[in-house]
Amino acid sequence: MLRTIATKVLRDSWRGLLFWNLGIAALAFLTVGSYPAIRDNPELNQFMESLPEAVLALIGESDLVSPAGYLNSQLFGSIVPLLFLFYAVGAGAAAIAGEEETGTLDLLLANPVSRTRVLLEKAAAMLFGLVIIGFSLWAVTMAGALLVDMEIGAGRLAEVIVSAILFGFLMGALALAVGASAGSRGLSIGIAAAVGIAAYLVQSLAALVEFLEPVARISPFYFYYEADPLRNGIDPLHAGVLAGTSLVLVVLAVIGFNRRDLRV
Amino acid sequence: MTESNGAVVRTRGLTKSYGTKRGIVDVDLEVHAGEIFGYLGPNGSGKSTTIRLLLDLIRPTAGTAEVLGHDAHDAPLDLKRQIGFLPGEMALYERMTGRDMLRYFAYLRGMSDLGDADTLAERLEADLSRPIRSLSRGNKQKVGIVQALMHRPALAILDEPSTGLDPLVQQEFYRILREVRADGRTVFLSSHVLAEVEHTADRVAILRQGHPVVISGLAELKAQALRKIELYFSAPVSPQEFSRLPSVRGVRAENSMLELVIEGMVDDIIKVASRYRVENVISREQDLEEVFLTYYHDGTDEAATPPTRVAAGVAGEGV
Repeated sequence: MLRTIATKVLRDSWRGLLFWNLGIAALAFLTVGSYPAIRDNPELNQFMESLPEAVLALIGESDLVSPAGYLNSQLFGSIVPLLFLFYAVGAGAAAIAGEEETGTLDLLLANPVSRTRVLLEKAAAMLFGLVIIGFSLWAVTMAGALLVDMEIGAGRLAEVIVSAILFGFLMGALALAVGASAGSRGLSIGIAAAVGIAAYLVQSLAALVEFLEPVARISPFYFYYEADPLRNGIDPLHAGVLAGTSLVLVVLAVIGFNRRDLRV
Repeated sequence: MTESNGAVVRTRGLTKSYGTKRGIVDVDLEVHAGEIFGYLGPNGSGKSTTIRLLLDLIRPTAGTAEVLGHDAHDAPLDLKRQIGFLPGEMALYERMTGRDMLRYFAYLRGMSDLGDADTLAERLEADLSRPIRSLSRGNKQKVGIVQALMHRPALAILDEPSTGLDPLVQQEFYRILREVRADGRTVFLSSHVLAEVEHTADRVAILRQGHPVVISGLAELKAQALRKIELYFSAPVSPQEFSRLPSVRGVRAENSMLELVIEGMVDDIIKVASRYRVENVISREQDLEEVFLTYYHDGTDEAATPPTRVAAGVAGEGV
């Protein structure tokens, strides 16, 4: 674990990562475990149909009884991407700015490692953490679905989770870029979390608020969710936008980090 | 290993400005292979700034810094295998044990084992088995020293290395530095306390407000340096008798105590003092403030500004 910077990051953060996994697993288990109560309650859909258009738009799903509709409304429409966002932003801010503020970055960089390598390895560790959490979410959801006899495709579930990972990584890359360029963990978390939450709000309100609609089209959340990956699979174009933007941010992080004076 | 007539560190007009405060101005240094170079100055005079420039952690406003024959910024990455660094505001990986941190750095440096780490740890009595966060300031410092020297670097850059070390360990540390020198390797040692370098350094640069005011051999420097002694008598003694003596530069009387600022030998002072009943003599280690006294008195600028006095009793220790 001490052979590379990336594995060292995972070694340092394994306890935190474990709690993230436990939390996500508990969330998935409780959500899927509650599904039979919803499924056996078809009046719910009738009730939904009676709701005004605007309220439905806000909820984002008109069909709460189908497995996909249920999982979208309970997990993938809000809480899962937000959790991925918070995990990634925390990791992205800690990567450079966190180590800089702790004061160990001087010592690390006195070793024969370039700033670029430090940054890329830490970005890789962030992505790996997201993948681990995503895998837990997938595994527990699938296991729960088997138990309660909920019909959900393993592949489609993986696709929506991959899409959420891409969304989280994008926001983490933003935090990484701000932190690497400014050397401030607080600023990095603040900006990235604010952008991420704004992205979510804009996308979820756009259905109601007309003037937000064009704005929503540039929201990362739009590219994560609009194509409904749980039902339709990943839209390659949307996934490409998320991945491409992340790449640009990582490159900006490298440039910003290499250009500046490190803080004491 | 190094080109250009053995200069291991060479700076030319090295300048780093931070708005109005701190930074360094026009620093020209040449550190030769196989010497221990003391880099002295009070806190905030620019020692750490210079060192961080040498390591490319910050970039100069003007001038150049060369380390082991390469420009600090464009140096090949591998060059850092030959450099050891102990930061001044040292922070270690608090949650790791010392040994784990050393293993991490050993991997990053491409070492096949921990090099001299165990020998060094034993000599400095560093505890590598406990998490670093549970160590005292001094014991953390030992781990920091071990990581800076374990890979037998050609150049060790040590910023205030003996901070927090107890005197016995300090002596052992100085022995280690002398062995590094005997091995033909180079040490760049910064300190705000003269005592820290006087046992080891061959040459020193004294930094004042970001600029070296003197670069010379340690022996010359000490010969020129002013220092203080305090004489405690049974009864008040006339200061005039002492102020006439050639080695005395200043006298301050307080009840039956005389504080003398002196240069050179104390022989004549002792002879005069022996005519009275002397209760105690306190001669403090010269600290940098006192060395500065010399250069402030001789200097043309700011002669009216005496250096801030360090309270008696703590002089000679790290603050």
